[in-house]
Amino acid sequence: MPRVPYWNIDFGIVMDLLAIPVIFIFLYGFYRQWLLIRQGKMRVNPDVGKMIQGIAAFQPGAFFVRGILNEKLYRKPFSGIAHGFVFFGMAILFIGTNLVILNVLFGLPVFNGAFNQWFMAFGLDLAGVLALCGVVFFLLRRAFMPERLKLPAARKGFVIACGLLGGILLTGFILEGARLAAGSLEIGAFAGNLIAAGFIGNTHALSIHTVTWWIHGLLALSFIAYIPFSPLVHIVLAPVNAGFADPAPGVKMGVIDFSSFESEDSEEAPLLGADKLSDFTRKRFLDFASCVWCGRCQEVCPAHSTEKPLSPKGVIVTMAERLSKGQLDEPVWDNISMEAIFNCTTCAACMEACPVSINQPKTIMKFRQNLVMEQSKIPELMGKAIASLEQRAHPFFGTGSGMAEWRKDLDVPFFEAGETEYLLWIGCSVTYEQRAQKIGRAMVNILNKAGVSYGILEDFRCTGDPAKQMGNEFLFAEIAQQNIEEFSELGIKKIITLCPHCYNSFTRHYSKLGGDYEVIPHGSMIQMLMDENKIKFDKKPQRITYHDPCYLGRRNGEYEAPRALMSAAGNLIEMPRHKNESFCCGGGGGNYWAEETGRRINQERAKEAFDTKADIIATACPFCLLMLTDGLKKCTEETKAFDIAEIVASCLPDVSRSS
Amino acid sequence: MHIVVLAKVVPDYLVPSMDFELKDNRAHERYSRMLGLYDENAIETAIQLKEKTSAALSLISFGSENDVQFLRKAAAMGVDQLILIKGQSDDAAVIAQNLMAAVKTLGPVDLILAGQQSADMDRGVVPGILAQMLEMPFIPQIGYIDSKGGEWAVTQITATGKRELEFKGPGVLSITSIPENVPRIPVVRAIFAAKKKPVTKLESINQGKMALTELGVEIPKTKSICEFIDVEDMNAAAKTLLTRLTEERYI
Ligand code: SF4
Ligand code: SF4
Repeated sequence: MPRVPYWNIDFGIVMDLLAIPVIFIFLYGFYRQWLLIRQGKMRVNPDVGKMIQGIAAFQPGAFFVRGILNEKLYRKPFSGIAHGFVFFGMAILFIGTNLVILNVLFGLPVFNGAFNQWFMAFGLDLAGVLALCGVVFFLLRRAFMPERLKLPAARKGFVIACGLLGGILLTGFILEGARLAAGSLEIGAFAGNLIAAGFIGNTHALSIHTVTWWIHGLLALSFIAYIPFSPLVHIVLAPVNAGFADPAPGVKMGVIDFSSFESEDSEEAPLLGADKLSDFTRKRFLDFASCVWCGRCQEVCPAHSTEKPLSPKGVIVTMAERLSKGQLDEPVWDNISMEAIFNCTTCAACMEACPVSINQPKTIMKFRQNLVMEQSKIPELMGKAIASLEQRAHPFFGTGSGMAEWRKDLDVPFFEAGETEYLLWIGCSVTYEQRAQKIGRAMVNILNKAGVSYGILEDFRCTGDPAKQMGNEFLFAEIAQQNIEEFSELGIKKIITLCPHCYNSFTRHYSKLGGDYEVIPHGSMIQMLMDENKIKFDKKPQRITYHDPCYLGRRNGEYEAPRALMSAAGNLIEMPRHKNESFCCGGGGGNYWAEETGRRINQERAKEAFDTKADIIATACPFCLLMLTDGLKKCTEETKAFDIAEIVASCLPDVSRSS
Repeated sequence: MHIVVLAKVVPDYLVPSMDFELKDNRAHERYSRMLGLYDENAIETAIQLKEKTSAALSLISFGSENDVQFLRKAAAMGVDQLILIKGQSDDAAVIAQNLMAAVKTLGPVDLILAGQQSADMDRGVVPGILAQMLEMPFIPQIGYIDSKGGEWAVTQITATGKRELEFKGPGVLSITSIPENVPRIPVVRAIFAAKKKPVTKLESINQGKMALTELGVEIPKTKSICEFIDVEDMNAAAKTLLTRLTEERYI
């Protein structure tokens, strides 16, 4: 018997009429979300043309790929697949329901032939069964919650939502079974047939069908009305958030324009950073509203996983709760500690793991900026590094090593305006830290060998990146301006960096302050020289594992050039956490100058590298190198950590690694 | 109440040994200039005292016109007004005399603070000479200061221990560094506000030079010899370190 809508139902129109207020409640719920989000500040974006409602440019590609398909979910295979079952299962069932409506309204022939058999019967049954499996998985997981869901708090409302979904699916099957039991079994409708044959006798089929129809319909309407008021709001907000997220990888902090401080009474100038919810932009409000409290960020956070007070989930859910309660102006410092805010290494692992495209480090950094620039609060060692940056333009206070030492007995040319092609930017750690100095020496050897036209600056200044990372944007801007002026005077156009932090600063932040350069990380430069046959070296019988620096990998997407070099110098083996899932060395976010509480992040990472049994632990960042060198002391007395430039230089004929 | 803090702008006192160079017997002018190490502790102490007692806080410095930009940091930290005596002498007595003249322009002052010693000359004598000239008590190496009903209660901190002292009326104190007077990082709006704070510039008087002639200056190059101490057990490591430092006669 072909299916007939409203078969066996009297006054079915009542359900249709009920759908009208439900749609209004649904729309009102989302309108309420928008009212919450629009309380955020309009984003100050010089590129006004690209702004939509003061949030940011909308990227339809990201909306679909990161928002709808969402590959990140499947990094946790069980919950990813369960989520896929529920999401795509319900999407197919939703399509099926709409086809029925089209059939009622316009007579669309969906209940005929193969389409009925394969889609309306088999397809929808399969979608329903898979969705039900997903719902059961999620209910069980709520009963036995992993720590990431439980701490610091579990989100309420998921059990009701899963209960409603489960109810809809079960009643859907009973409904189908009753319909088939009253008529005849249908090819393809395997679940309905099973219920019809196994559980519903012919006698009660009609009455079961009627009662279940009403329950099923009412549950479905309740579910729809509940969506915007429940954690399920993420069905809409997550893809929207992905669409509005910054397309560049990693955290992009932008630069702050301090001119209003110059021109007006500085007491009146806008607040720097954030110390309450209302200081954030609409995009951050959208972040807070989208969070599903899944704790994936917390699980990968190097600070959290080494028992420090920071939890990125904790920060975001604190803000989400305030948003939902309308607590816009209450200071946050009772709930989010200063220690936690400075624990963040800005490694962006949380962003990478977040299934709903939230930018946690940006929120954390806004708090940090406020602590430093408005409240003068900073942990003591970081404060000393900042003071040193302010006084002598580098953060390595009290260092015994310097300019003269790193280039002792080396032939290093100075950059000459109009003559030299590349500026070899040494960076503060390579200048002032004895171990890191060897990276500079190795790179000079490589560049000399390859005959590259390069030069260094006579006087040295840091890029200002550590100040930025520690929240002192003002100091960063001052140092950056001085560098930009000097670069302009010398006509510098191409820069080779030895440190990913310098690379990140030049490419992302200097350009906003008027300094546009072609910047090339040293790994890519060496690879280029290798490809052009300007340097040649033979593979050595050595196993090398490579640690991805956060500012080169996750933040700038450079994973391959250093690996190509290491594969040429030896046999590359990977650590369990590598590339975009790499674990921070612990030194980012100014935490090179931190007095760590809890376990040491660098020791955890060094152990992971050591456990690969590699002969050499390579990296491409001086800070990572210093942190790993220190961390490795717990595992071995041998020196195993080296920069990629040192490893390449050691393979070059006539150049030794320790040069 | 009026508190005065004395500060000196000096060349970078942490230039790595191999990079350090003398020119005309002084640190090369290419090094960054900054407020002296202990002077910043004194400024921080003075600001905390100002916050507690609602005193007015003035800073006096003897140096060059170019130093004003570095003195502004003190203003950003919380000093109300800056006074610069434009002069060049390294003679402690001349400096003290100039400082005295500047202090006198302020009318009655209640307390004068200075860093324990300057970061370039490392003598620590100027505040003492100044105190004598002003006929005020001088107490060096002070960590904590409290104002108690018209009296000052201060704690002197030396390598071997603490001494608590009390005195009435104005005095000159030289300040040592303690965890509580780590200089604050000025907040950004204060940095901008500091640009608008008044700076009084006074001409120097070049009298009362000490009968001394500088024959030469030598800064030995430091050599670093590295020795690792196992830190598995913190207590044992601290003991080993102490023994080693004592053996080598560093302490
Ligand atoms: S950026 Fe790194 S350290 Fe900071 S919260 Fe995210 S995962 Fe944790
Ligand atoms: S911020 Fe993202 S990863 Fe963290 S709990 Fe929220 S949704 Fe999950």
